[in-house]
Amino acid sequence: MKATTAVRLALAGTRADAVRVVLTACSAALATFALLAALTVLAIRTPPDTGSRFAPWSEQYGSALLREPGLRPGVAIALILLMVPVLALAGQCTRLGAPARDRRLAAIRLAGATPRQTTAIALAETGLAAVTGTAVAFVGYLVAHEVLHRPGPDGTLALPTDVLPSVPVLVAAGLGLPLLAMLAAVVVLRRVTISPFGLVRRQGRNRAPWPWPGILIVLGVLLFGAFGPLQRAEFKLPDWIGRIPGWLVVIPLFGGAFLASIGVVLGAGWISYTTGRLLRRFARRPAPLLAGSRLMADPWAGSRNLAALLACVLFAAGAAGVRSWFTTQEAAQAEANRLAAGPGPSDIGPGDSFHLQTMDLVNLAVLVALVIAAGGLVVAIVEGIVTSRRTYAALVATGVPRPVLGRAILWQSLAPAVPAILLAVTVGVLLPRSLQSEARTGGSSWEVCDASQALCEDPVTRAQYTRIVEEPAIIRSIPVPFDELALAVGVGLAAVLATVAIGLVFLRSSTDLEELRVG
Amino acid sequence: MSASFVLLGLLSSGPKHGYELKRAYDRSLPNAKPLAFGQVYSTIGRLERDGLVERAGQDRDGGPDRVTYELTELGRQTLDEWLGTVEPPAPYVSSVLLAKVVVALLTAEPERAGSYLADQRAAHTTRLRELTRSKHDPTANIGDVITADFTIAHLDADLRWLRTTLDRVAELHQETQP
Amino acid sequence: MTILQARGVVRSYGQTPALRGVSLDVHEGEILAVTGPSGCGKSTLLHCLAGIMRPQEGEIHYRGQRIDTGSESVRSKLRRTEFGVLFQFGQLVMELTAAENVALPLLLAGTGRREARTAALTWLDRVGVADVADNRPGQMSGGQQQRCALARALVTEPRVLFADEPTGALDTLTGEQVLGQLVRVTHEQRTTVVLVTHEPRVAGYADRELTMRDGVLDETEAGIAVPSGRHGR
Repeated sequence: MKATTAVRLALAGTRADAVRVVLTACSAALATFALLAALTVLAIRTPPDTGSRFAPWSEQYGSALLREPGLRPGVAIALILLMVPVLALAGQCTRLGAPARDRRLAAIRLAGATPRQTTAIALAETGLAAVTGTAVAFVGYLVAHEVLHRPGPDGTLALPTDVLPSVPVLVAAGLGLPLLAMLAAVVVLRRVTISPFGLVRRQGRNRAPWPWPGILIVLGVLLFGAFGPLQRAEFKLPDWIGRIPGWLVVIPLFGGAFLASIGVVLGAGWISYTTGRLLRRFARRPAPLLAGSRLMADPWAGSRNLAALLACVLFAAGAAGVRSWFTTQEAAQAEANRLAAGPGPSDIGPGDSFHLQTMDLVNLAVLVALVIAAGGLVVAIVEGIVTSRRTYAALVATGVPRPVLGRAILWQSLAPAVPAILLAVTVGVLLPRSLQSEARTGGSSWEVCDASQALCEDPVTRAQYTRIVEEPAIIRSIPVPFDELALAVGVGLAAVLATVAIGLVFLRSSTDLEELRVG
Repeated sequence: MSASFVLLGLLSSGPKHGYELKRAYDRSLPNAKPLAFGQVYSTIGRLERDGLVERAGQDRDGGPDRVTYELTELGRQTLDEWLGTVEPPAPYVSSVLLAKVVVALLTAEPERAGSYLADQRAAHTTRLRELTRSKHDPTANIGDVITADFTIAHLDADLRWLRTTLDRVAELHQETQP
Repeated sequence: MTILQARGVVRSYGQTPALRGVSLDVHEGEILAVTGPSGCGKSTLLHCLAGIMRPQEGEIHYRGQRIDTGSESVRSKLRRTEFGVLFQFGQLVMELTAAENVALPLLLAGTGRREARTAALTWLDRVGVADVADNRPGQMSGGQQQRCALARALVTEPRVLFADEPTGALDTLTGEQVLGQLVRVTHEQRTTVVLVTHEPRVAGYADRELTMRDGVLDETEAGIAVPSGRHGR
């Protein structure tokens, strides 16, 4: 098969396929942009060491987030984490028009295509979309890099527009993302390409999900907590700061959070199945019974649809926990300063209110991610309704009132979403607490030499003039930020409700009895 | 009698003499029972007696007398009426095949009936194949095809009925001798 | 000469047996009809013979070579090069035009686009639907779709054509026209045909007929054959 043939067959689809391609390209563009931004932040050069205790700052920037070498990996990671909901949206979009696409691929298979060829055709679609999106993002990035390179009135730059990631890094990003997208497509399609008769005979349903993702959650939290000791080790060996790449130190942090998120997302499958079973056992009204059966029939749908939303809620809860930590730390610091009645150690940095500002930025990022995730959820719910429109139309034809169907969809969305969101919030707040459950400051002691430099440097006279200063330790336990957690749960549920409301708009047109005639 | 109406129908396109009528008859209904010359003339005679056809002329070039016949107004009307009359759908069933199967089932043992049915099926299938083949012969005209279609439809019905009967006999056999 | 041979083929779906030990020989150049009531396993037999499905027991040989043990890639290559398949409906890619559908097997095999299109148009003409070459299946009648499917099944000039109720979704006259084309064209190509149907009328197009019941061939009437061979021969 020639490449042009694969492309032609890949682009043979209908409107739903076109929408899918466009959305895939858009997601790829967004993800590429976030990745390029992160790489740019990482590419900022640290000025040569001036011999001070701290790594030198890059003073050309307006924002402390970019000036401080120690903060930049965090900024980069936040940007990369923004890719997660974008990628989840991309995953959701691959399901748009999926039944028609599966049918087309099966028909091509019947015409004698090998499994490899069908995969190639599907990959051509994803690959083209991803390459286009990535290319658009690259052009946009380079243009923005030029246009935004305007020093402010104080001569500083708002963004790191004076640096570019190295060429190999750029090439890796430009090739890596489309490859990643294609890999994801292969995983999604592996069920379809197995059988040319996928549309005729389907093997038995996969078995009910088990609650094993719980292990992932525990592992994730433990790994996240392991960052604490590592971080302390880092401060004992200040030489490392310049040499250890930031990303290496944060592997447990990133990996732990990632494992825990995956655990929550996969756990949603089990939650869907279990709520479905409970609904079937205890519900008495038709709507929850219908919802229960549908949940049990396809428990992974909930996991797929809620994935990005759950990840966002988890991060929102985590951010709330971190913010609570910072607030407590600040209060403890103020207390210590008051007790010491003098200038405290001067290396506290620009003040913890700075950290709180950073957390505001994180919250903003989480909100943006939540909106993207809700978009993905809308796509999923509408797709679900449109896909099973014949079933719905048949139910309406046999006399099931539309409101019952609407309530069933509401049950089907909310019943698993409530426990899953609660789980995400719990795990999210557990993550920072596994690092630190109390804020402490002071408790350290140091020598002070109250004499001239000459006397102090002489080992003989030195002992007479030195004294040990002890700072009183202040320990505050970090409160659980219940109000912010409630807000996270509320926003998450509101997103689900809003998307169901949008989905129900489509229910009316999808239950037209005309749909019974559609092949 | 349908042969007389077929002759009326053949004459409706213009006057013909007896030999032409016989040839036209055999051409339009090739798989029907062939019409003997004597039968053509006796039928024409009857039609003439009833005033449905009349002699239109004679030509005698190189042979015996050839009388040409044509339709009368009454004949045209009668043909029209006949074409407009709906045939009663299968008013009674008279088929040697059916009678044989029923008798076989009544008298002989089921194996015997089964093997008779299978043999009959084979014969039907062979005939069905021949007709299918003749129908798709490039030289076949519309009359051939329509006649073949008619017979194929009946054979098809017979074969379906035989299949069902074979299944029924087998089922009966299973029930009586478990 | 035997082109396709099945020996003791067993296949079941879960607990439900579909084939319970079927052995048969398909002779080169013949049209073999497999008839029987619905659910007797005739379609499963066809799928096994065509290498679409693997039997759980037994062997299938094509031109002396065992094919039921081959990998999916090997079998799809076989389906693409040696076999053609024709189903009741739904095998055309709805998003492609008639010509593109017919050209598809050639394109998959690596033939150039122009060459494939020429071959597709030739075949559409041979089955009498050249006028709808640039229509999508949705814009074609059922008979035109089936002819297009027939052209697609034959465009690779397969040695064996498998047809599963090819006229099941068509009215009698349209079905007859499609079958007439099938018989004529496969005869010209000297293609062997395995025809699965429950209609005696359709089986009437075959040279030989095998009847299935409950997953086995009905031995009492095996091989109701006409010695004269194929039409027009």
